[in-house]
Parts: sequence; structure tokens; C-alpha cells
Amino acid sequence: MAEKLLTRNNLSGEPARAGDFVEARIDGAMCHYHAADPLHEMAVQSGFKDGLPRVWDPDRVFVLVDHHQPALSQKLADENALIRREVERLGIRCFHDAEPGICHQMMADYGLMRPGELVVGNDSHTISYGALNAGGTGIARADMFYVLLYGELWFQVPPSIKVVLDGRQPDYPIAKDIILHLAGQYGDDFAGSQSIEYSGSLVPQLSIDSRMCLSAHGVEVGAKFAMFPADDKTRAFLRGRTDKPYEPLAPDPGAEYEKEIRLNVDEMPFVVAKPHQFGNVVPVDEARGTRINQAQIGSCANGRFEDIEIAARMLEGRKVARGVRFIISPASQQVYLQCLKAGLIEKLVEAGAQVVTPGCGVCQPRVGFLSDGEVCITATTRNFKGRKGSLHAEIYLAGPLTVAAAAVAGEIVNPREVFRGL
Amino acid sequence: MGFDLSQVIRGRVWKFGDSIETDAINPYYRYPTMDELKQHTMEAYRPEFPQQVKPGDVMVAGRNFGCGSSRPGLVLREVGVAAIVAESVARLFLRNSISRAIPIFVAPGVTAIVQDGETLEVDYPKGVVRNPASGQSVALRKYPPMIEKIFECGGLPEFARERYLKEAASASRPKA
Repeated sequence: MAEKLLTRNNLSGEPARAGDFVEARIDGAMCHYHAADPLHEMAVQSGFKDGLPRVWDPDRVFVLVDHHQPALSQKLADENALIRREVERLGIRCFHDAEPGICHQMMADYGLMRPGELVVGNDSHTISYGALNAGGTGIARADMFYVLLYGELWFQVPPSIKVVLDGRQPDYPIAKDIILHLAGQYGDDFAGSQSIEYSGSLVPQLSIDSRMCLSAHGVEVGAKFAMFPADDKTRAFLRGRTDKPYEPLAPDPGAEYEKEIRLNVDEMPFVVAKPHQFGNVVPVDEARGTRINQAQIGSCANGRFEDIEIAARMLEGRKVARGVRFIISPASQQVYLQCLKAGLIEKLVEAGAQVVTPGCGVCQPRVGFLSDGEVCITATTRNFKGRKGSLHAEIYLAGPLTVAAAAVAGEIVNPREVFRGL
Repeated sequence: MGFDLSQVIRGRVWKFGDSIETDAINPYYRYPTMDELKQHTMEAYRPEFPQQVKPGDVMVAGRNFGCGSSRPGLVLREVGVAAIVAESVARLFLRNSISRAIPIFVAPGVTAIVQDGETLEVDYPKGVVRNPASGQSVALRKYPPMIEKIFECGGLPEFARERYLKEAASASRPKA
């Protein structure tokens, strides 16, 4: 699919083969809080003394001020004000600066990317758009500068790697366990600079939420793209969100792959990634008994409806363990609203969880820093040393069900021990 | 500021392991200014690094260097790192480095030929990295001409500026 995408968008009109360097036409550019100082500084340094002189197509540029909203400091408020002025000066029409939420979820909520498009963003998790069959990929800030000016960018065409998922979807989300399991098994760069294509009998059963988790985490295993085929669920999701036509990508029959990886999810245990790397994965039973101070569900990996729904379902009639801070951050206002209408937020707050404003804060972090010696289990994107403040804190990554179980038990535990009948 | 790929870089080695992430390189949410970052870069792995790194030093790392977020490694240039040589580099960090003309090189096998504190020589024109003390060397991956041109310009914004001026000049030239 990656070769087909980059052939379709290759400016030279030549077929793009794995390994080739091409200059490609960009279908959409997502720009978040980097739209202010970094871009302006680069403009001035490179000789555009009044800033970026134009954007190539104001309708294909989307500015969503996600990481820094609401502004948590004077400096960020000033940066946001600069973004507002720049957006107006450049005539960019799609601008969300008064609505908190994660840019990637909002790109999906508002149908700003479509199957078969090449969409770049100056954030590593732009790769999550592959869930909707879009060629989403993160680019550097200086790359974005070039894209905004010309609507073009260089790429090395990635070889593709086929990840075949088979088995049955249980009535709780397992996407996080799948990607952690693969990273543990094959290494945290098993898809380094390659394009993942998901297939197999599990794929049609996976919700769009689960697909977005798997695609977002493509970057945690080094990938350039992480794409799903477009199917009925894709079309149903996009209906009412976009009225623009799109042309999905599908692999050719007999397409060649760099490698093929298979996983039967029926045989997969619940897993956690121990500190401090994504690939440091063990079955949850091996981390059992680790006391926790904080539990979290949120981010562009796990801040979606199904992640919050499973926590609410499991916490109904139970209480968060004494002394544990259980923080929930919906990925966007749309997700938040959906959770509210379904009564999930009420259940979570009754159980003792705290719900914070949608956005990147819980993962980046802007909220929920850890102190020396504290332990956090989190359904967010990363567990690097110091990711949540102290270099002497420990972060475990897990799926939302395992996080909810730990929040109730006060320690890492197999969800089956807490929630009978799973 | 362009980077001249024709020069040979020689420096004292700081050696790191696999999957060194951008949170360690650039922990900007804890240290938002460049001055603060310079005091804390890489401390998650080597607490002495920020104090002891000297201009001209070379970083050597294992596979997947710069994994994680889209944060750039400008701070490494600011503290004087003359070159980064790794077994493999995460794609976003590689893009970030190329687009800001930060000398970064992929040289599979490099971690086997040099130890921490030794000297490493990076000879881009000849396509090798060498340990002058032991004489051992491994090949480094050359970039295609398009990327060499970005280094030469001093980064992608500078490359964009050059293109912009060229197009503006040809647009204003009277048609024959």
C-alpha cells in the first residue's frame, strides 16, 4: 500500500518502489502547537524576516492547538496567541483553538483526513490516521515548514511488513495488549522505517477505536505508516464526517512484503511494558503485586470511548483503591461528550476516579507528574524514564482493562482476578 | 549554517545503548528553555553528560537512536556534539536532524569498533567511520544527492528559502 500511495502522489509521475527517494504531493498537513515559535524562528533564520510568506493551500492545512490547551502558563498563553495571529495572517480556515482535545482524535472526529490520502503532521502519532486507511506519518518541524510553503516533501519509500492478526475479539479492548505483545516479541523497532499493513481475521472485528490505538503505536515500533484496509466500519465512521470523495488503498493480490508477522490473539496473555521502554514487555502475572500510586487512561493511544467504557463498566459498584490517583482523560471533546451521554463519567467519578480536560497532558505530561519512587500504570503512549517528571519514578504501560484492575486493587494484577467472568 | 559533508570529523566518543529516546535527549516539558535543556540533556542515561561533554565530541549509539516523539535534537548541537553515529536511527529523529543539518550518520557495526572515551573518525566522503587507535572501520550510509543538498543549504527551511528566491526571480524575469 505504501508503494501505491507514494506512486499516486509522486511528483515525478514515476512508480515508487521500496527504497526510492521521492518528492511527494501532500494531501493534508496537521500542525499543532509547533505552529507558533518554532516555525517563526525557522522562517526568520532562513531569511523570511516577516515569517512564513504563505501556505500552499489554506484548505489542506489544519491547525489544532492540542498540547497546550487550556494554557497552563503565561508563556503558553502567549504562544497560543501567536498561533492565532499566524493562522489569521496565513488565511488558514481549519483552526481549533478554543476546544481542547488531541489533534489526532479531532482530525478523525471532524473527518479531516480520508482513506488513501498522504497526510503529514508535526507530531509522531500522526501515523494513527492509518486506522482509517490514510497514509498518516509524523514529520519534523522543519519538514512542516517546507510542506506549508510547497505542499510537497521528500520521502524514502518504505518496504511493507504484514502483520496478520487472527482470533476472536473479546468484549473488552485488546489493541494495547496486541501492540505491546508484538513489541515484546519482535523488538521496539521491528517495523523501523517500514510500513505496517494490518490484516487477518481479527481486523474486521476491530473497532475504529482499537485500530487507532494500533496505528498510533506504529511509531513505538518504528514504523512510517501503519495502515488498515478500508472496510464497512471505515465507511460508517466517515459517513457524516466528510462529504469529500476518497479513494482507498488496498494491497495488490500477491504484493511482496519485507516480512510477515502472525499473532493469534486467543493465545495472548494480558501484558504490561515495564519501565522504561515500550518493548520491555512481560505477561501481567510477572509484574503482579507491584504497588501503584497512579493509574491513567488517556492519550491518542487509549483515550477513546471503548477505553473509557471498559473502565466504567469494570468500576461500577467498585471503588478505586485508597491513595491511588486514577486519572481519566478523554481524547477529545467529542469523545468526552459521548462518554457523558453514555453515563460513563458518572460511574467513574462515583468510583473515585478523576476526569481531566481532554488533551495530551496526561501523557506528555502536563498533568499528573510523578514524584521520586512513585509507580504509575498507564494506558497512554510511552513509559520512558522521566516521561512523567521524576527520573526515579516507574511507569508501566498496559491496556485500559489492566489499568482499571490495578486502580481497584492498588497494585498490578491480572484483570481476571479482579473482574470475575471476563 | 550549512554543514559541510566533505569534512572529516574526529572526536572523543560518548557511547550509548539501544533505543535512546527523545525524552532523554530533549526533556523540554521539564526544562523548557535551551539553557536549561543544555544542563539536562541525556542525564537519564549519563548524569555526567551535560557537565562533561565538550565541543567536538562524538555520540555513538546502538539501534533505534532517537525513538519516541518528534522532538528535535538541536540541544546536542548546542552542547557541541560534532556528529552522531548510530547502528540505526528512528526515522523521525533522522528527518529532524537532516532538516536542521545536524550531522547524523547510520553506520551498522559502529558500536563494535569503538569504546566510550576513545576517538572516532567520521569520513563521509570516503563513506567510513574509523577507530584510529585500532584501525578498525565500518561503512556509513551515504545520503542521496537531494539530502546532501539539504545539508549543504543548512537545513530544509534554508533549502526552501533558496527555492523560493529562485522561483520568485524566474517569475519576475520578462518572458522572451
